[in-house]
Amino acid sequence: MAVIEVQNINKSFGDTQAVRDVSFEVPSGRIFGLLGPNGAGKTTAIRIINHILIADSGSVSINGHPVSSKTQSMIGYMPEERGLYKKMKVGEQLIYLAQLKGLSHAEAKKKTRYWLDRFEATDWYYKEVGELSKGMSQKIQFIATIVHDPDIYIFDEPFSGLDPINSEMLKDIVLELREEGNTVLFSTHRMEQVEQMCDDICLFNKGRAVLKGNLRDIKQKFGKNTINIEFEGDASFLDKLDSVRINNRSTNFAEIRVLNGQDMQDILKTAMSHAEIYKFERVEPSLTEIFISTVGEDNINPNELA
Amino acid sequence: MSLQQILLVLKREYMTRIRSKAFILATVLIPLGMIALFGVGIGIGMWDSDTQRSIGIVDQTEVIYPRLEKIAPERYADYSDISMDSLRSLVQNEKIDGYVLLDQDHISGESNLEFISGGSGGISLQQSIKSDLRETIRNERLARANVSDDVQKIYESSITLEIRKLTKTGKETDDDTGFLTIVGFIMGIIIFGSISGYGGLITRSVIEEKTNRIIEVIASSVKPIELLLGKMAGIGALALTQMTIWITTLVGLAAAAGPIAEMLLSPDTTQKMAEAGKAAQAAQTPPGMDPAMFSIPTIEPSLIIYFAIFFLLGYLLYSSLFAALGSAVDSEADTQQYMIPIMIPIFIGYLIMFRTMENPDGMLSVVGSLIPFCTPIVMISRIAITDVPFWQIGLSILLMIGTFAGTMWLSAKIYSVGILSYGQSASWKELMKWIKE
Repeated sequence: MAVIEVQNINKSFGDTQAVRDVSFEVPSGRIFGLLGPNGAGKTTAIRIINHILIADSGSVSINGHPVSSKTQSMIGYMPEERGLYKKMKVGEQLIYLAQLKGLSHAEAKKKTRYWLDRFEATDWYYKEVGELSKGMSQKIQFIATIVHDPDIYIFDEPFSGLDPINSEMLKDIVLELREEGNTVLFSTHRMEQVEQMCDDICLFNKGRAVLKGNLRDIKQKFGKNTINIEFEGDASFLDKLDSVRINNRSTNFAEIRVLNGQDMQDILKTAMSHAEIYKFERVEPSLTEIFISTVGEDNINPNELA
Repeated sequence: MSLQQILLVLKREYMTRIRSKAFILATVLIPLGMIALFGVGIGIGMWDSDTQRSIGIVDQTEVIYPRLEKIAPERYADYSDISMDSLRSLVQNEKIDGYVLLDQDHISGESNLEFISGGSGGISLQQSIKSDLRETIRNERLARANVSDDVQKIYESSITLEIRKLTKTGKETDDDTGFLTIVGFIMGIIIFGSISGYGGLITRSVIEEKTNRIIEVIASSVKPIELLLGKMAGIGALALTQMTIWITTLVGLAAAAGPIAEMLLSPDTTQKMAEAGKAAQAAQTPPGMDPAMFSIPTIEPSLIIYFAIFFLLGYLLYSSLFAALGSAVDSEADTQQYMIPIMIPIFIGYLIMFRTMENPDGMLSVVGSLIPFCTPIVMISRIAITDVPFWQIGLSILLMIGTFAGTMWLSAKIYSVGILSYGQSASWKELMKWIKE
């Protein structure tokens, strides 16, 4: 069953159309990745799902209810632009945010205590947020997102600005949330995170959802048309290859996408005559490659894909 | 719209601010600051009146100077024995402030008097000299004309005008226009000050949520209009609290002052003080000002109710605009360009109020009190000073409510878009687009 159902939504700001006719479904109990370069419309779509923005047309439903103030409390949302009241105490602040999500004061207090204990932050209860270190306030931000115990979690670019420790912690939290039967949707422009965590994806480019579905299925559909090659010696042969696209190139490694059904054995022969080959492997394409071949090389700014 | 959400926002705004050091400091320091300002004003006035001026008089008539000496011995000095040149150099060296040459022609009225001034003293000195000379020369002329004592008495007598006010109930009371003008002025100033003060607080509160980047977290739980109303109500409640603290303290002090003074001072000293006070009053009160004017008459309860109404309406009208302003800018430094159009009508109201103090029923005051953006300041002064026809009060309230509905609608539009746009402050063109959306 789809927990989040997005149907044909459009949203314009003045002359720019941020989201064009986007539809996708987020199945229950899975991790769903919304990816695409910066400015592709991910944040706008997420704000519409959170009922912060209203779509010009189309519909969004959460657990079968059209988006409204009521569906807002079913979601734990961590926006890309995040922050807290600096001059408010941690405990008070978490209780306030939980109350805004519909919890009673007593419940909110109980949950706040529980989560602060779990994050080994019990002592911070009476501290002002402004006194905390960056890493500490990031933890408080997670708690603020999950304190009201929703069953849908939406994170917009959750890993941007996180230190490595909190980044790892968030990854664990996301996986743990799924294990408990919750649904997670997150957006990112970093493809490798999607590969590691997501069950399903939806690819955004220029306001459109250009590719969507189960990550495994998508990769299989593209076939094992990519070569990972490790070598030592003169790398200039890579430039002489025809009908290929080379991603992830470094001094002794390259990811070669084979186009137009060119014979992979020929590539191996060329490579062997120029350099010493350590590894030559046929693999499924990376998400970056899938993204590029879906939207076309001319349609993206490669700097925006990491 | 959910009342529960609005109340939550209200409570947070109110609770976090009322406990803040800034609020406690402002509550204590603003009245102290105002008292200090009054004190400085009075101090300057007293220090100023002490300045001595000396005017040389060369009296060839020999009758005018003795008369001048009687009126103001400290101001005039007899220089009849000194040569014209040395008199001139005394003025040039600033030993004296100027001199006047008097001869028979001046008494007979055949030539005009001339005051040779060193340039100091200003208008007030010139006027004192003019009136002193007028009085002494007139008296001398009267004496020479040999008029009867009766006529001389007529010239010496002054007329006092006692003002009594006839109330609607038919009672005659002491006129308290002077006192009420001051009350109206203070009320106008308070409304002016709190609209700009609390308006600025709302702007900062909105900007704070934007720069802290917490606004989107809040927006995923609360509708912008709920947040806006909660904020306005929360800071409004703060304003009322502060106002209540001040008024209660003031009333308490006023009520306690008498008994405390009596307790501290023995009857003997009280009596002495009273006598000294009377003497001081007699010495200091300028002519034409009746000390009874400043005895404390009662303020009618209706005036306090009107004050509350106009304070509230003025706050609502402007706070919505100040909130919209906060949402449109990206940092506090950018508020200037939008602050000006909001502050201009407040200042116009403030300026009209000074005219209202002199002429509360004049065209300017009546029109000003009916323009909703000036109403709270001008109308409350008028109500305090004069009897404003009820239709004008009613109309001004209706106009304010209508205008508030308009500004609230406008502000809600700007606010709901503005709080989520980061990066740069909106241009006027963008604002128009947000409103049309």
